[in-house]
Amino acid sequence: MRVEDEPGWLLHARPYRETSLLLEGLSREHGRIGLVARGARREKTRQPRALLQPLVPLSLAWSGHGELVALTAVEARGQPPLLQGTALLCAMYVNELTLRLSPRHDAIPEVFDAYELALQRLADHPECAWTLRRYERDLLAETGYGLVCDSEADRGEPIDPAQDYIYIPEHGAVVYAGQANVLRLRGSALLALAADAMPDSEDLASLRRLMRALIGHQLGGGSLRSWSMLAGNLPAR
Amino acid sequence: MSGSVLLAELIDALRCLPGVGAKSAQRMAFHVLERDRPGALRLADRLAAAVERIGNCRRCRSFSENELCSFCANPLRDKSVLCVVESPVDQSAVETATGFRGLYFVLLGRLSPLDGMGPRELGLDLLAERLRGGEVAELIVATNPTVEGEATAHLLSQLARDAGVRATRLAHGVPLGGELEFIDRGTLAHAFGSRQTLT
Repeated sequence: MRVEDEPGWLLHARPYRETSLLLEGLSREHGRIGLVARGARREKTRQPRALLQPLVPLSLAWSGHGELVALTAVEARGQPPLLQGTALLCAMYVNELTLRLSPRHDAIPEVFDAYELALQRLADHPECAWTLRRYERDLLAETGYGLVCDSEADRGEPIDPAQDYIYIPEHGAVVYAGQANVLRLRGSALLALAADAMPDSEDLASLRRLMRALIGHQLGGGSLRSWSMLAGNLPAR
Repeated sequence: MSGSVLLAELIDALRCLPGVGAKSAQRMAFHVLERDRPGALRLADRLAAAVERIGNCRRCRSFSENELCSFCANPLRDKSVLCVVESPVDQSAVETATGFRGLYFVLLGRLSPLDGMGPRELGLDLLAERLRGGEVAELIVATNPTVEGEATAHLLSQLARDAGVRATRLAHGVPLGGELEFIDRGTLAHAFGSRQTLT
């Protein structure tokens, strides 16, 4: 199969054999794909090394079948989002999250659009946390594990912003009734997520815990490596 | 192919070197056996000794067979300037090209969560301790201008700021002798953005 001029991004690139790169790409029409860029690490190469890295909008061409296909051409597709500092770390998290949650060869154009929107938001706004929550919400929804944030799971009652709830993965929000060791959050946090309106910092923090629990559940109890990186666990901080 | 099992094993072992495929490995093996047995013995001896004895410097994490590498142990080098590089190869590139007289810190990698490289793996706690020690006045961040290198640079700048140390970053832009027409957009945009006043 040959694919030409496919809009895409690279989520990850690592050295492969002597001069090649093993790439993990996200494309709009073909979903997540594994690519080999042969000879890309040679000094003189047809595929410019500056392009073959994450967070650069690309136009990709490849050929082949199966798990790994061969990258045949790569071109820049516009300016890369200007990501610096914390936004850059957040974008790396977005890459890891996308890689872990989106299945290979499963084309979900909505995931691609949400991904591009998230990177643009990270570049434009200093408030990274809310951008990440929105992307996590959209990614979970598009990969089939959407949250129900505006009504209770059992009774179908609308969520009360002042009420405390617990959120049970693959079930939904249930009124908090004094249970121990549960993920408890205010109704206003859930409603903010449903309405796509930025909540206050307390709700934002509880949404972060909620999303981590849901993603962890999705990964079968695993965790993302970026979490430890983003958690501000720099030495002596 | 000759019937020697040892020879076949030697050829196979040589292939662990970068750039050496089956053909080159065979040529190397025949060369040393036919023409340079003393050289081969010396190579084997040095190879074994190096692999056995070379570890990492306690202060800068670069390769060294002593507790301190020759840079860190050299009293003539400027202790107030610390250059952070990703690998010993980068260290040697900076050393040969720049005439830098300060000290180094080698990360042995770059920040890349997907590859399991986090702050701890890069020895940032060791670096933070060193910055807090008060000897360092400037931290030169010489990580590669890749996405991971930039993210690493960001962490390093935070460390430096926390310790009250000035952090500087290598400039990146148009290569000397290059032509604008052939330079990739990103590099050109970067070079354009960080242009300097002509004096």
